[in-house]
Amino acid sequence: MSFFGFDAMLARDRGHSASAPGFGQTPDAFAGLGGGVAGDDDAIDFEDTYDGLGDGLDETDDAFNDDTFGGGPASQQSVGKDFDFAGQTSKIAHTLQEEQMLYQTQQPPSHQQRPPPPKPSKPARTGYESYHDPNYIPQLEARADIWGLKPKHPVPAKQPENQAPPPPQPAKKMMSLEEVEAMIRAQTLQHEEPAPVLIQPQQAQPPPLPVHPHQQVPHSQPHFPGIPGQGQFVPQILQRPQQPQQPQQPQHAQQHGPHQRSGSRHQQVHAELPGHSVQAPPVHHPTILQRQRPPPNEPSIQQHRHAPPQPTAQRPASQPRQILQNPSRLSGQGQPMAQPGPPASRGPAPGHSRGPSYPSMVVTNPEQLLHLSKEEREAFLAEDAKRAKRNHKIALLSKDNGLMTPQDKNFITRIQLQQLMTATGNLNEQTPEAAIAEDFYYQVFSQIRGALRQTPHQPASQFAQTYLFQTNGRYGPGRRHGRGADNHMQRMEQQVQRAVEAAKAKPKAKQLTIEGSLGKISFSNSKTPRPLLSMKRPESTDKQPSKPHKVSVADRTETLRNIENVYMTLMHMEDHERTLPAPINQDSDPEAIQRHMEWRTKIETLHKKLWDDIKIMEPINPNPLTPHPFIAILSHAKGKKAIPRIFRHIDEQERITILTMVVIHLDKLNVVSHGIATPEEPLSPALRDEIELFLHSVVPPLYAHIFESPLNIIIGLLGLILERNNVHVVARTKIGMSLLIMLISRAELLKQPPEINVVDWENWTELYNRLFDAVEPILPLIFPGSINDTDDMYVWQFLAAMGVGASPEQQQRLVIGVKDRVMETVGVSKALPPEMAGARLANVNLFMRAIGLDVELLG
Amino acid sequence: MLIFSFFKTLMNQEVTVELKNEVSIRGTIKSVDQFLNIKLDNASVVDELKWPHMSSTRDMFIRGSVVRYVHIPSATVDIGLLEDATRREADKAKAGTA
Repeated sequence: MSFFGFDAMLARDRGHSASAPGFGQTPDAFAGLGGGVAGDDDAIDFEDTYDGLGDGLDETDDAFNDDTFGGGPASQQSVGKDFDFAGQTSKIAHTLQEEQMLYQTQQPPSHQQRPPPPKPSKPARTGYESYHDPNYIPQLEARADIWGLKPKHPVPAKQPENQAPPPPQPAKKMMSLEEVEAMIRAQTLQHEEPAPVLIQPQQAQPPPLPVHPHQQVPHSQPHFPGIPGQGQFVPQILQRPQQPQQPQQPQHAQQHGPHQRSGSRHQQVHAELPGHSVQAPPVHHPTILQRQRPPPNEPSIQQHRHAPPQPTAQRPASQPRQILQNPSRLSGQGQPMAQPGPPASRGPAPGHSRGPSYPSMVVTNPEQLLHLSKEEREAFLAEDAKRAKRNHKIALLSKDNGLMTPQDKNFITRIQLQQLMTATGNLNEQTPEAAIAEDFYYQVFSQIRGALRQTPHQPASQFAQTYLFQTNGRYGPGRRHGRGADNHMQRMEQQVQRAVEAAKAKPKAKQLTIEGSLGKISFSNSKTPRPLLSMKRPESTDKQPSKPHKVSVADRTETLRNIENVYMTLMHMEDHERTLPAPINQDSDPEAIQRHMEWRTKIETLHKKLWDDIKIMEPINPNPLTPHPFIAILSHAKGKKAIPRIFRHIDEQERITILTMVVIHLDKLNVVSHGIATPEEPLSPALRDEIELFLHSVVPPLYAHIFESPLNIIIGLLGLILERNNVHVVARTKIGMSLLIMLISRAELLKQPPEINVVDWENWTELYNRLFDAVEPILPLIFPGSINDTDDMYVWQFLAAMGVGASPEQQQRLVIGVKDRVMETVGVSKALPPEMAGARLANVNLFMRAIGLDVELLG
Repeated sequence: MLIFSFFKTLMNQEVTVELKNEVSIRGTIKSVDQFLNIKLDNASVVDELKWPHMSSTRDMFIRGSVVRYVHIPSATVDIGLLEDATRREADKAKAGTA
């Protein structure tokens, strides 16, 4: 069906028109007139209809542009208001739908008629099939294909093509006004002729949009108060109203005449309106997923654009369009039009077929473009292309927009914030407790070692107490080395010295004979043959206690677990101590008192738990196969280290209990039972470490306690040692000896004050004698190493302590027992450098002075 | 996070960072973050002959995941405190799972 006898030379146009507006082609405003209908190629064969008028367009003659575009004479009236299709339609969309429904019910036949005339074979292409279904609800979004968009364009391929053709095409494409009119006239004629075929024009309609150049502005739909009849009508037959609008009113009348005259036809149009009304929809967008947004926008964009294409070179139009198409592709619309005709190769005809492509022009004001120079136009087009690309990218990127709901986003944000908080939040949280809980090591470490605290009463001091002084020695080489140990040894030494001084202060009547007669004093030895007799006993019993020490794995695990429990309780107590509420007084409010009470209750609970944890109250089995749980705890390094901390939290009575426990099991302690060293068989390094650790961690608190104990407790403890332990073992180990030193020297000091309890003192003397008798046989063995072993200070201290309390007769026996060692040490020290010699001689002298002598005398 | 807490105490300490690719770098810790990324100042490669190309770099930022060992001066570690911190960490983890 050829309306104008269009040039049919281009076979490709077929394909192109099938999919509506050509991609990248120069827009031809009047192409739609020729029947280049989107998605409707079946209904109208473009080639058949194209009359080639487009070729005759004189592009250079712009004389009538004003008329055409409404600039001048073409007044509002002449232009008419019938172009605001979408706006008008949207206003009455529901009316249209109602009308359609009404019509459908009333005139089913005519409705059905419609498809057959154009091309029954491919009704699917019309795009109106949906409306056959009475229940059909139009899509609530703009259909890109209505605007002749083609979704799939091989973008790159087109551009080159577009650029090549420009020069020739412009001439062909621009139809003169006369031509347009002619076309219109022809069209209307044809419309009228085949009454039943009315649909043709309608189908041709989609492209028409571009035809309205002046309408870019108007396209803001709402502006035009539609004349009901026309308004409804217009959307469908976009082209028609416009064509007439031009100078020739008569034709206008002509055109309309036919349309309105045929009632049935009119109704048909109505029937289709709903479909158009659907276009109006920008309104609906909001409800649509974001991703689909691009498409809805298209129509309006296109509308704005289609004007320019006419005036400008056609090539430009193609570029912008690519943008538009991408979005449309996303929306899934316009698929049917996917086939872009090969625009470049097109001869004259193409221009017409491309009509629908106008929409792609980006220029908002057509006149602008008109007045642009070629260069400017190029620039503009290049920019357009850029924008197209960008839009395309945006479309791609926005593909997944809206996948996450706001709730999802909030959720993610919350998680991220939480992570930030945990990563950096500690610094902000100013509650020290929270910081300590999260960052214990760093907080405490920096408090202990960091800059001096500003106030001496900060909680840091507690940490310092807990960690700084508890286990030094070799465990904290970085700290004041072995401070606690030195402290302890010094205090022990001081105590011994004080005892010695005190002893010297009281004149001892029978001591005079000894002076200067070290070598000859042996006469008193005749009275006491005992040493020789008892020599063997220690040998036989020496290694006895080592047997029960074998500990099963289960016991060991149990012990370790006990220790860990102790530590956890300790830490809970320490944490709790930091939360000590402000001290209360009479004026405190009840709440504070309440808090204090709670605190006290809690700390007492923890205290009790700690006491249970150390297993100290487990019954003592006189002949145990396994060591007492508390002693087992002490056999582990970390168990030993816990003792000073435990002592800080327990009361006096409990300290005595622990002390007693240790004393009772003295020879069961591995540091004692395995701690006997001989010159031939020195201790293993591991054991030496154990002993050192014990000395540094366990002994000091015990010592501190002994140092304050009254004589009766000392007596009790010494008694326990003598009764429950193998004194020979105890006396030959560093730990045992240290304990003995503490007890004896403490007793010596207690002897000084006037308030000596006579009974106690007698008890003590008796115990001392027992001890002396027990120790005397092993006096030659108490030195752990050879004469060159310098670690014998504690032995000299022990001898000094013994010597202070000894009777003259006992002192002589002491001297006899260690005489060789004394002489050797003095001899060795002569060969040593002065410093070392001085140290060793000082040790010896400690003992010598205790018995009223001096190494000088030996000189 | 104990290990992070621990590394924070090593600030401005001279350490040797041994990487998983066998490179060892000695330097002063300038900062450590929660990923145990380490920033070293005055850094130098321990085996300059083997890794000569590293010798020109003085300041380094080492991604935590490539570190195999960090050798630290023992004097900078408070063992008792570290033990307790470990206990707390373990206790917290236990409380967290239980």
